[in-house]
Amino acid sequence: MSAWSLAWRTVVHNPARACLAIGGVAVIGALLFNMLLLSRGLLVSFRDLLDTAGYDVRVLANEGSPIHRAPLAGAPSLAGEIERLPSVRRVALIRSDDALALPPGRDADAASVTLIGSTERQLGGAWDIVKGSTLPAEVHPGEPVPLVVSTKLAARQRLEPGSPLRIRVNLAGGASVLPSVDCRVVGIGSFTFESAYDYTVATTMAGFAAAHGAPDGKDEADLVLVASAPDAGPEAAAKAIAALRPDVRVYSNAQVVDQFNARAFSYFRQISVVLSTITLAFAFLLVATLLTMSVNQRLGEVAALRALGFPRRRIAANLLCESALLVGVGGVAALPLGGVLAIVLDRILRAMPGVPERLHFFVFEMDTVVLHAALLTATGILAALYPIWLAARLPIAATLRKEIVS
Amino acid sequence: MSAAAPIVEGRDLTRVFPMPAGDVTALGHVSIRIEPGEHVAITGPSGCGKSTLLHLLGCVDQATGGTLLFEGREVGALSESDRSRIRLTRIGFVFQRFFLLPMLTAWENIELPQAEAGASKSERRARTRELLEYVGLTERMDHRPSQLSGGEMQRVAIARALANRPPLLLADEPTGELDEATGEQIADLFDRVHADGTAIVVVTHNPVVAARAQRRLAMKSGSVVSG
Repeated sequence: MSAWSLAWRTVVHNPARACLAIGGVAVIGALLFNMLLLSRGLLVSFRDLLDTAGYDVRVLANEGSPIHRAPLAGAPSLAGEIERLPSVRRVALIRSDDALALPPGRDADAASVTLIGSTERQLGGAWDIVKGSTLPAEVHPGEPVPLVVSTKLAARQRLEPGSPLRIRVNLAGGASVLPSVDCRVVGIGSFTFESAYDYTVATTMAGFAAAHGAPDGKDEADLVLVASAPDAGPEAAAKAIAALRPDVRVYSNAQVVDQFNARAFSYFRQISVVLSTITLAFAFLLVATLLTMSVNQRLGEVAALRALGFPRRRIAANLLCESALLVGVGGVAALPLGGVLAIVLDRILRAMPGVPERLHFFVFEMDTVVLHAALLTATGILAALYPIWLAARLPIAATLRKEIVS
Repeated sequence: MSAAAPIVEGRDLTRVFPMPAGDVTALGHVSIRIEPGEHVAITGPSGCGKSTLLHLLGCVDQATGGTLLFEGREVGALSESDRSRIRLTRIGFVFQRFFLLPMLTAWENIELPQAEAGASKSERRARTRELLEYVGLTERMDHRPSQLSGGEMQRVAIARALANRPPLLLADEPTGELDEATGEQIADLFDRVHADGTAIVVVTHNPVVAARAQRRLAMKSGSVVSG
């Protein structure tokens, strides 16, 4: 009979102990799985979110940061220069501001929105049209400003493609004195970067300028999005842009992710490492305690096996297999349990203000499952060490004598 | 005295247990020879060193003085794994409390030492069937220890001890947990084992079991006083 089958029979013979151990490892393993998902999930999701937009290089003003951006002056000419680089395929200018969306005649339904101006009719994957059409290529003078509104805003303000809407830009630091402009909803879309409590509205660059009371447009942009040529790649494009214009800051998506990883995400990682270590310590203590108790209850049995000629390594193998079975079954049960827990926690975290709804804190990766299995395996082995030592060093004669006397 | 080489021979064996209150000599300068096919009973009051002597003969404990030879090899010079091998293949052990593995059936308990010794599946099957017939438990082969009586458990334990055809069977109070009638059945079984050529050393308080032995050693205060 192999060590595995003997261990299996031992586990099955003690159902209460096995249930306690497996249940405990499953719960602890689920928490560990969540911590591991959390340690990388946000980063992976953020990278996916950036890549979804279809642009892999970002150009910003030298002042500010990727989060708190200062406007870029002379943006159209900068975009033109960048677009002529052989490593660049496409360029888009982006502006954004806070505004108020006012459905005509329904002031009570007014909502604060983020107004985005773009030189592109369809800004990569930044929004997906679910109804109506995307922004028009051209808007004739006197026509209302075209808008793509988010599904949530459309639902709240009962908007449909063709609905009129007025937009008034908020000015920072005081009440807005800008007039509201007449707009028309051309499409309803799902916005990638919209958070649970935000509403987003996109328009053309001309529309954005009109909302700011400058129909001819200003030459500013908050951000220049660049899609690199497939044969060049984002790093080469970023390098070429930085060489062309040393007065701006250029980041590939990978660099943006690296920056977030080193700053904001490092907190998640540290929390995750601390909590993972604690959960592993709990798993270790649980399995080590149960196995030690089990060995202590079976000292006579172990001594008899040794007296019958079973070598120390065989006793050690039995206990190691027993530990592996308890941790293994518990670890497997931890995956669906952890998965459900991750979905619930992810839903709660994504509802936080300012967090894009499509950003996930818990992202399933095969690597995480492998790491989870490796950590639990190591814990199972470590937890078995003391009981193994106890059983292997057992003085056979003294134990048999003690068992008879007791 | 037989001219054949003894299975196990202890010369001037001493076993001292260090205790906080001072060393305790459980066995003092005992010499003993067990010949092949012999049936020896060791008797004496509790604490006189019977089990200590049995454990030394069975290579589960090491003497603090003297020499133990098992089939001519000095046990003190052997590695732990060599001693384990001797116990597995050359010695059968029967305990007062049976110590059967509770999660295994009677069949599996008997098969286990054979598997450990490397016997093939067909050899194991044949030997286990033979032993279950030998101890009269063929009908109970699928029963776990918890489903067997004390006498049945001890019969399974004897079958397990004989699984690898050892030339020496050591039994430590094999009837200690059994009633008189069942104890006699076990004594009968030992007689059969002995008649089949296996040497037996039995430590016992039971006069019926002791009376079946060819040679009786009486012990007192760590020494053999007669036999």
